[in-house]
Amino acid sequence: MTLDRRTFLKTSAVVGGGLSLGLPALANAFGSDGVRLAAYRPETGSAQPKPLRILILGGTGFIGPYQVQYALDRKHQVTLFNRGQTNSNLFPGVPRLVGDRNAPDGHAALKSGSWDLVIDNPTTNPKWVRGAGEALKGRVGQYIFVSTISVFSDYSKPGMDENGPLHQPTDIDKPFDRAGQFYGPNKVRSEMEAVAQFGRDKVTIVRPGLIVGPGDLSDRFSYWPVRIDKGGEILAPGTPNDPVQYIDAHDLSEWIVRLGETRTTGTFNATGPKSPTTIAEMLYGIKSVTSSDAKFTWVPADFLAQHQVRAWSEMPVWQPGQGPTAGFMAIDCRKAYAAGLTCRPLADTAKATLDWYKTRPAAEQERARAGIAPEKEKAVLAAWHAKNG
Amino acid sequence: MALRILILGGTGFIGPHQVQYALSRGHQVTLFNRGRTNPGLFRNVETLIGDRNAPNGYAALKGRTWDVVIDNPVQVPRWVREAGAVLAPNVGKYVFVSTLSTYANRGKIGITETDTDLLNAPAAPDATERDASYGARKVRGEMDAVATFGESKTLIVRPGLIVGPGDLTDRFSYWPIRVEQGGEMLAPGTPDDPVAFVDQRDLTEFMVRLCEQNATGIYNVVGPASGLTMAGMLYGCKAVTTADTRFTWVDADFLLERKLRPYADLPVWMPPRGNSAGWARMDVSKAVKAGLTFRPLAETARDTLTYYHAQPPERQAALKAGLPPDREKAVLAEWKARS
Repeated sequence: MTLDRRTFLKTSAVVGGGLSLGLPALANAFGSDGVRLAAYRPETGSAQPKPLRILILGGTGFIGPYQVQYALDRKHQVTLFNRGQTNSNLFPGVPRLVGDRNAPDGHAALKSGSWDLVIDNPTTNPKWVRGAGEALKGRVGQYIFVSTISVFSDYSKPGMDENGPLHQPTDIDKPFDRAGQFYGPNKVRSEMEAVAQFGRDKVTIVRPGLIVGPGDLSDRFSYWPVRIDKGGEILAPGTPNDPVQYIDAHDLSEWIVRLGETRTTGTFNATGPKSPTTIAEMLYGIKSVTSSDAKFTWVPADFLAQHQVRAWSEMPVWQPGQGPTAGFMAIDCRKAYAAGLTCRPLADTAKATLDWYKTRPAAEQERARAGIAPEKEKAVLAAWHAKNG
Repeated sequence: MALRILILGGTGFIGPHQVQYALSRGHQVTLFNRGRTNPGLFRNVETLIGDRNAPNGYAALKGRTWDVVIDNPVQVPRWVREAGAVLAPNVGKYVFVSTLSTYANRGKIGITETDTDLLNAPAAPDATERDASYGARKVRGEMDAVATFGESKTLIVRPGLIVGPGDLTDRFSYWPIRVEQGGEMLAPGTPDDPVAFVDQRDLTEFMVRLCEQNATGIYNVVGPASGLTMAGMLYGCKAVTTADTRFTWVDADFLLERKLRPYADLPVWMPPRGNSAGWARMDVSKAVKAGLTFRPLAETARDTLTYYHAQPPERQAALKAGLPPDREKAVLAEWKARS
């Protein structure tokens, strides 16, 4: 884990209090890059909520810290439960229960105390849900399970709501297999186990799409602001009108806490933006927070496939807007929006991501985990230009 | 080195940021104006009062010396000569705010400051708003500036469309405002049509820095240097909002046939052909080399929206450029009904 405390503090300065961009931006006034963006204020509206006793499982990874900060800002009582290994120096004032969910009796620390709300962030292994459920039995008002839109087995239809077809769940009694192909099936089983353990009337299942923003170590969304900031000719995938979806970690995390405040249960697809957005809008929108001379060259999906350019990993946030992935970036999230999920402007996400990325150690910045390699990008663009004269 | 700068005007659109920036760089600023526009804006800045249209209107400037005088508000060439009569012996440099509208022929892509054959014929020395075009009057103003102050003391900036917070023309502002309103929206021409403008803050900061460098000569000032398209502008505006805007691109000829005026009904946009082919693709490499920078579009768009929302409701309701909602809706309906 590489999000050190110093980095997180920089990040967390932009988390709480509804000030997303003002602080780091002002420090830059007339600075070398000159990038200043007035503060965006999220539309959270609601008055001071009734304080909740919140137990956060995990809480120190990518989305957890945003939840903790937001919950503290809203005067909730927060307790963390984790191994104490990831960013263990975060939130020194927040009580922490220690346990390793893979260990026998790893949930023992949860066997006393009661909570209005439990948020389970890091779970892919359905046995973890069972462990948490058995340890917490009868002492939890609401259990929010962070699932994934990868639970769906068929993305061919745009506009799929929460009732879309799911993967066959894995067998909870068989050994856990963390291989990527079982990610969706494991999450389906985990969702089922959450309901079995806590009861339908106490369970909220949140199925985020691609979670992005400062702290994202997958580099998928981040690839684009970083690449665009470098400038020059940029390989842009598919057609300008291909849809994209992603959810800012702030927006997701803050909404999850509000789901507890409103005690909302049920299952929610949770990605954004609320307004349908195309890849062209995303790329130009990201460009708008830079002073880059980036120019986009759109290369069709089939040409990319012929040149072994992989959607999603080398061309992240994108899948061909046709065929089996036609609906992958067009999930229906109206239920979540109706339940209070808001999506901040793209410019804020892009700028915060870029600012954060630049604070990472140089070696890490160079080892990006997503996005096409520069030489390969150049070669594919050259091949495309050669073909088109 | 701190400069003593006299700013003629200074309280309108581009003036206030110029003043602030000059002060932030340690310069000594004096303002000269009628004292009517935004009085009290700079309480700690010396303001000399005079009306350039009145007899003896420049009296307050007599007997004073400055390193630089920046002349922002000139609409008629006469003002340049009259200012010169009082100031020429007493100032080190005269900065004249001209315009890219000095170029009459904009068909060429990459027009530079040396393309003198493309300029408007100068207006008559005593031309007014009634009897000569804006561009022709500014050409005359440039000539008179050089004639009055001398080439070695004259700096001329030719901005393109000046935009950002404080803009009273609403030309750029229409776009972020409209985008923020959401829904289906008419986008003119093609996504790749080029557009160009300059944030008033980039312009004024650049002007002050040119003075610090003791620069003279002529500078085209518009941007960004790397080029911007309609799609880049509109999608960039959307990125600072949470609006549910959808863009419907409508062909240029279809719009022109319906008497929708580029740059007015559809501001910032100009179909890139004929005599306008180069309008949004001027060469600004000279200015960039001298230090012109371009702030990110998101900043211009968001600050423009913030400024707009701070205006009284009646001002917000009376945009001076852009399509009225009914007209936009009607044109979109016609566009979709075409065979």
